[in-house]
Amino acid sequence: MRTIHDSRFTIHSLYIHIPFCKKKCNYCDFVSYAGKEALINKYIETVCQEIASCFTPHSSPLTTIYFGGGTPTLLSPKHFEKIFQHLTPLIPLSITDGEGETRSVAEGGGEACEISIEANPGTANKAKLKTLRELGINRLSIGAQSFNDRHLKVLGRIHTAEDILRFYDDSRAAGFDNINLDLIFALPNQTLADWQKDLQTAMAQQPNHLSTYNLQIEDGTPFWTSINPHPHPLSHRERGEKEGYDKKKNQGEGVLELPNEETELAMYEYTIETLTKAGYTHYEISNFSKPGYECQHNISYWLNKNYLGIGAGAHSHINGKRWSNPNCIEKYIKTPSSFLPLIKGENVDPGETIFMGLRLLDGISKEHFNGFEKEVTKLTQSGLLIQDNHNIKLTRKGLYLANEVFKKFV
Amino acid sequence: MLAKIRNFSIIAHIDHGKSTLADRLLEFTHTIEKRDMREQVLDTMDLERERGITIKAQAIRMEYKGYILNLIDTPGHVDFSYEVSRSLAACEGALLLVDATQGIEAQTLANAHLAKQNNLKIIPVINKIDLPAAEPAKIAEELFNVFGITEDEIILVSAKDGHGVKELLDSIIKNVPPPQGQKSAPLQALIFDSHYDSFRGVIAYVRVINGEIKTGEPIHFMGTQGNYEAIEIGTLKLGMQPRASLGPGEVGYLVAGVKEVKECRVGDTVTSTKSPAPSPLPGYKPIKPMVFCGFFPLAGEDYENLKEAVGKLQLNDAALTFEPETSAALGFGLRCGFLGLLHLEIVQERLEREFNLNIIATAPNVIYKIIKHNKQNLIVDNPSSMPPATEIASIEEPYLKLTIFAPTEFVGPVMTITTEKRGNFINMEYLDPTRVMMTFEIPLSEVISEYHDQLKSVSHGYASMDYEVIGYKESDLVKMDILLNAEPVDALSIIVHRDQAYPKGKKLVEKLKEVIPRHQFTIPIQASIGAKVIARENISAIKKNVLAKCYGGDITRKRKLLEKQKAGKKRMKRVGSVDLPQEAFLAVLRLGK
Repeated sequence: MRTIHDSRFTIHSLYIHIPFCKKKCNYCDFVSYAGKEALINKYIETVCQEIASCFTPHSSPLTTIYFGGGTPTLLSPKHFEKIFQHLTPLIPLSITDGEGETRSVAEGGGEACEISIEANPGTANKAKLKTLRELGINRLSIGAQSFNDRHLKVLGRIHTAEDILRFYDDSRAAGFDNINLDLIFALPNQTLADWQKDLQTAMAQQPNHLSTYNLQIEDGTPFWTSINPHPHPLSHRERGEKEGYDKKKNQGEGVLELPNEETELAMYEYTIETLTKAGYTHYEISNFSKPGYECQHNISYWLNKNYLGIGAGAHSHINGKRWSNPNCIEKYIKTPSSFLPLIKGENVDPGETIFMGLRLLDGISKEHFNGFEKEVTKLTQSGLLIQDNHNIKLTRKGLYLANEVFKKFV
Repeated sequence: MLAKIRNFSIIAHIDHGKSTLADRLLEFTHTIEKRDMREQVLDTMDLERERGITIKAQAIRMEYKGYILNLIDTPGHVDFSYEVSRSLAACEGALLLVDATQGIEAQTLANAHLAKQNNLKIIPVINKIDLPAAEPAKIAEELFNVFGITEDEIILVSAKDGHGVKELLDSIIKNVPPPQGQKSAPLQALIFDSHYDSFRGVIAYVRVINGEIKTGEPIHFMGTQGNYEAIEIGTLKLGMQPRASLGPGEVGYLVAGVKEVKECRVGDTVTSTKSPAPSPLPGYKPIKPMVFCGFFPLAGEDYENLKEAVGKLQLNDAALTFEPETSAALGFGLRCGFLGLLHLEIVQERLEREFNLNIIATAPNVIYKIIKHNKQNLIVDNPSSMPPATEIASIEEPYLKLTIFAPTEFVGPVMTITTEKRGNFINMEYLDPTRVMMTFEIPLSEVISEYHDQLKSVSHGYASMDYEVIGYKESDLVKMDILLNAEPVDALSIIVHRDQAYPKGKKLVEKLKEVIPRHQFTIPIQASIGAKVIARENISAIKKNVLAKCYGGDITRKRKLLEKQKAGKKRMKRVGSVDLPQEAFLAVLRLGK
């Protein structure tokens, strides 16, 4: 049995993976499947069993829960109700604030547990949003990606820009007061001006949090196939050399042209400057928030803390061990919870704590770098790392060349 | 006794089925039982199996119908043609093996010439007749056109299914002449191969021509002037079978406490110290390396290990030479000499595989003869030791006679790539209406610049080549230097023909730009002749390299990706502030593509 109530460690973060999508996006390489909706009922049952097998009523309370996907909002309210039957005992009802005052959620105080859900604007209506909020979900991460219908189509999204705006308003109306917008830049055929417009539109909604990702062309995705044969997308060799665009290849009706490295850099710089000026804190390579709205769940990843992953393809990390569930839904459903995980754990390398931690702009404390003194000195000399009294963190140059830093620690 | 011995080898082009036929002969004569048979018993080195070629010769003794049949295997590559000729000198007959689907190829012809020079009885064999594409009648016609071989001499076999093997064995007994030789004459035994065994020292493979070699007797190597004692002698089946003596016509091995194979040279004559032969057997020549390159360890502290490893390989490889080399760019390394490109590649691969060394190999080059204005003669095997152009009166480089076999439709492309590489067309002959043999004279330096790959590519794999060195010729050559970040990198210097300097310089800097990874600063690449820059490119600085996304489920994958990027860098050699991959040193060879 894998009951996680061993007194030697505690889990405060729980991830639940929902691997269903209406349609798979052209850039997506996550564990998610379109056209397998028939398996949803059975899947939710298995998820509930897995939760039950991991926790007891005596387990310590959770401080973050994250529903990711896939498209979690594809589930119906009754599915969430079932899951929450198992989760509710693990969620503290109130939190003790700094002054020792206890304020309940209903009083509008800080909620004891950050419960996030990823939402696709094409998959939920007002009623569903309301149920989600009532069940206790208090953070909504909306997969907007772009406000340009042409780009949304190239990405393979199932919604329009207008859908996003309506969905955003519905979410606010349903009581969500902690909303993130996910955006992607350096899209095929996107200009700097296009991106500036996207970012401005997003800011105009006044979200509490913004995640802005430079598009990564992942192996095995339709984007990858339409760009190859070329070296790995992460070797930006060809991308920096020509003016304007390169990597041309037919992609459906149009031509897939990716912005070059200079343009990517300009987009990233613009994002950092604009959002910082507007009062957002740049706290992770791709993440910005209004003060106090940093995503606690994701921070637990970057600080390499313990977390438990439930569902197909979900990864867990507990006390230096990492493991994952099978990616295949059918296999996950068939495997009795007590036999999970099927994939054997691997030991977490100390370098991982460093390269994950350096993603945070505050960096991590110096003691994590024991044994890497030579690397730190070199990287500091080349202007990629900087040290203060407690922490080591990336410089601005180091931020742009983070991989050059990270690979010194693996 | 002599009347019952037959010594023969199999000569063939690569992939015409020599090793498979050898396997069948061993099986048919019950030298090896089928259950003990590994495919291609005679190719024992892993590399030989993988590359499908024989590098070292070996011998094996079979017994059949009261006869002793000694099969002496020969190396299958032009780099080793001297070894082939010595193996053939130990035989009275040769099976000329031709693939029924391919016909005569360049090495078939080259090896047949060697066999004729050694007065061997040739038994023509057409192999692979089991294949649907086999055209034995057409091949027979080629054999007649090229060698004057008539159809009734030819034996048709399938080494794969054993068809014709019995007839072949009978024909060997009937047609290969028995060895001649006098037991009472002074000892003359030909060393046709040797290998190093870490327990017993060098094991020499010998063919006794005259006299008798006996265990315990003092012996003398007439070429290297070495004196030893015959500690153990014997014959070769699958293992070594000790015997008290070997008489004329016999083939076997000799263990004499020799420490290195260079003390026991292929082609040398073993004689008895007590009553030495008046003269050695003909044909011995010390082998000289033709192609040179520098090996440098990626990590400077590996230099001693590299030296030790090359030394170990040399114990078993008399053709491999080395001496210390110091490069301003690459530090301490070894300048190594090889018989040819294949030999070089094999040594490099063995250093990496068997000794676990990470090395950079510089582009191979040939030996140049330089005559200076002050009448001084210089031998240069390294572009960086070339004297300044102002001191040079003339430069000579080694030339080859290159023979190419190809279907007629590829004559044009073969002509184009060969003349582009400074080849002079000499002659063309038709083997039959569909295939030709072309002859060129061409500098060796051009042939080692991926000529073989280009030939295979323009002929869709149908052309084959062979060559022999014909001597030195004067050429208008210049040294071209490469500068990275304005610093010359001595290990990238090359010697090129003056007419090709500009286009080659331009292509080379372009190629270097492609293979050198971007750094955090801009790197200018320049090609220069003397002080004059003839080509320039810039590698732009890397400005952004960051993984946008990394959450809980991504960590393992992203870490692997970072590890891969890092591993790529580890395989590079830092020169000044620039990391150079192995490809940068070989870029000069890849200018044709």
